[in-house]
Amino acid sequence: MYPTVLDLAIFGYIAATGLSLAYLVQREEWLHRVASVATIAGWVLHAVALLALAFRLGRPPLGSLSEAVSVAVWVAVLLALWVERQYGVKVLGAFVLPVVLVLSINSATTRPLGIPGIERALGGAWIWVHIGLVLIGIAAFVLNFAGALMYVLQERQLKAKRPGTLYYRLPDLETLDRLTYRTLALGFPFLTTGLILGVLWAGRAWGSVFAYDPLALLSFVAWAIYAGTLAGRAAAGWRGRRAAYFAIIGFATLVLTLGAGLFLPGRHGS
Amino acid sequence: MTLFVAGLSHKNAPVELREQLAVEEDKLRELLSDVSATGAVRETLILSTCNRVEVYGVAEAPGEARAVVFRHLCRYRGVAYGSVEPLLYTHLDGDAVHHAFRVAASLDSMMIGEPQILGQVKDAFGLAQACATVGPALHTLFTAAFAVAKKVRTETEIARHAVSVSFAAVELARKIFAGLGGKAVLLVGAGKMGELAARHLVEHGAFPVYVANRTWPRAQEMARALSGAAVPFAELETALAGVDIVITSTGATEPIVTLAMVQRVMHGRRARPLFFIDIAVPRDVEGSVNTLADVYCYNVDDLKQVVEANIRERLREAQRGEALVMREVAKFLTRQSDVEVIPTIVSLRERLEEIRVGEVRKALARLPGATAETREAIEALSAAIVNKILHAPITKLRESSRAGSSRSWLPLIHELFGLGRK
Repeated sequence: MYPTVLDLAIFGYIAATGLSLAYLVQREEWLHRVASVATIAGWVLHAVALLALAFRLGRPPLGSLSEAVSVAVWVAVLLALWVERQYGVKVLGAFVLPVVLVLSINSATTRPLGIPGIERALGGAWIWVHIGLVLIGIAAFVLNFAGALMYVLQERQLKAKRPGTLYYRLPDLETLDRLTYRTLALGFPFLTTGLILGVLWAGRAWGSVFAYDPLALLSFVAWAIYAGTLAGRAAAGWRGRRAAYFAIIGFATLVLTLGAGLFLPGRHGS
Repeated sequence: MTLFVAGLSHKNAPVELREQLAVEEDKLRELLSDVSATGAVRETLILSTCNRVEVYGVAEAPGEARAVVFRHLCRYRGVAYGSVEPLLYTHLDGDAVHHAFRVAASLDSMMIGEPQILGQVKDAFGLAQACATVGPALHTLFTAAFAVAKKVRTETEIARHAVSVSFAAVELARKIFAGLGGKAVLLVGAGKMGELAARHLVEHGAFPVYVANRTWPRAQEMARALSGAAVPFAELETALAGVDIVITSTGATEPIVTLAMVQRVMHGRRARPLFFIDIAVPRDVEGSVNTLADVYCYNVDDLKQVVEANIRERLREAQRGEALVMREVAKFLTRQSDVEVIPTIVSLRERLEEIRVGEVRKALARLPGATAETREAIEALSAAIVNKILHAPITKLRESSRAGSSRSWLPLIHELFGLGRK
C-alpha cells in the first residue's frame, strides 16, 4: 500500500505545484482554489501513506533519512497551509511546493526497506526525538527559504523601478521579512535541540561525534549559518535583503546536507 | 419590441462634439419626457457624460427612435443633426445588453476601470426612473448591469493599480511596508503636489507627519493643514533619521538630500527601510541613494513608469473582465428568454391540472367503494400522465426561446392547448 498511496500524494503535490505556478503568473482565483485542494489532498494521502508505513514497520517512519525527509515534507506542507492563511500570502504555494517536490523525489524513488539492523542501530527513544526535532526544524526552514526568496524577488522589483508580474503578485517587504524572521525563530530551537541530542547520542552509540559522517559535519555548517543570521537579527538589527540572502544560503547548505546524507557513505544511511 | 442602445462616445466622436451634446440633469428630464411623449419609444434612458452620450431604450423601430432622440437633443444644444448622425452607433438586443454591461463595468471607459462611470449610469437610471420612462425591460437590464459591474470590479483588478502619480506612490509604499498605519512621513517643501501625496498617505493611516520648509511660517501652515508638526529645515538630517517615508517637492535647483547624508542616516536605522518620493523637478534627492540597502527612491519619471506599468496591468485585467461580461451576457439572455416563455408554461400546467383534477373527481364519483390506496393510485397515475405529456412541449418551448424562435412557438402552443388569450 505504501508506494501507491505515496505516489498519489506526490502526484497531488505535482498538480498543486503546477497550479500554484500558473496562479503566480495568471491571476485566476480558481487556479488558487484548485491548487489548495490538490495540496490538501496530497497532504492527506501523504499522512495515510506515512501511517500505513508506520504500522507496517511497527516504528515511527523515521528509520532512514529518506523516510525522515518524507515526514519533514509532510510537516512543511502543513506549515505552508497554515502560513498561507495566517499571512494571507496566496502565492506562497508557488515558492514552497517546488521545494517540497525536490525533497519528495528521493523518498519516492528510494524504498525504505533493506537497511539491515536499523532498529538495533537506532535503538532508544532519544534517537526518535533527535530525528523528530530536526525535521520540524527543516520544515520551518523550507518556509524560511520561501519567504526569503519572495523577499529578494520583490526587493529587486522595487529597486529596479520596473514593476513586473511579481511586483503585483508578491506581498510587501515588511510582511515577507516578518515571515522570514518568524520561521527562523521557529526552526532554530528545533534544529539546535535536535542536533544536541544527536551529538549526545552519537557520542554514546558511535563513540565519536562527527567521524566519517558528512551529514553531521554539514549540518553543523547549516546550523552555524542560521545561528549567525539569528544573532545578527537579534543583536545587530539585520533585516531585509541581508537576512534573506543568509536564509537562502542556509537552506542551500541544508539541502546539501540532506543530499550528502542520502548519496555519500556515512552513518546516517539512506 | 426591440432593446437598443444608440449614441456616440470617446471612441468615435471628438471631444468638441461630446462637449456640445452633454446635457445637465434638468434638460435631461425635459428631454426624457419629450421623447417618450412622441411615442417613438416604449422605455428610454439617457446617459450623458463627458465621454459618451447614449440612449438606451425599447422601441418598435429602433432606427426611428434613435433619430427622434438625437434630433431632440441636437435641437436643445443647437447642433446640426446631420453632423451627429454619421457618428452614431446602434446595438440591438444581445449586443445592446453586451454594450450596457461593458459601459457599466468601465470596460468601455477612456481610462479602463475608472470608478465614476458606474455612478453616472446609476444616476441616469435614477433620473429615468423618476421620469417614469423606465419599464420592466430597462429595469431588468440595468439591475443586471450594476451586478455585473460589481462583479468585474471585485473579480478582476481593472480598478486596482494607481493611474495617477500620487496614488502610485502610495501603492509603492504599501509594497515596502505592511500597511501604512503608524508610518512616519516627512514632507520637504510645501508644494501642492507634495501636499496631495502626503494626504493620500495620511488617508491610509500614515502618522505622524512632519513638514520641513525653508520658510518657517509656510512649514507651520502646511503642518497645521496636515495635522502634523513643523521641523526646522536646518535639521533635515535629524528628521530623516526618524521617519519611514519622505516626500520632497521643493523648488531647489540642487539636491537637498545627498547620498552621503542618507548613508549617515541609514547607519543608525538598523535596516529600517526609508522610502523617498521625489516629485520635485529638478530632483531634490540624489538618485544614487536608491543603491543603498533598504533605501528606495522614486522620482517623477520613475513614478510615471510605474503608472504606465499599472495601466498595462489594467489592460491585461480588462481582457478577463471582457470574458466575464461575455459569460454574464449569455446568462442574462438565457434568463430573459426563459422569462418570455414562463407565463405560457405556467398556464399550460394550470390548464392540464384543471382537466386532470376534474376527470379524477368524475372517476372517483363512479367508484364509491374505492379504498384510500385506490384513490392514491388514481391520483398518482393521472399526475404522471400529465407530466409525461407536458414534458415535450415545455422542453421545446425553453429550447426555442433560447434559440430565439419562441415567437413562432408561443402562439402555436396557445392554439394547440386552447390556452385562451394571446
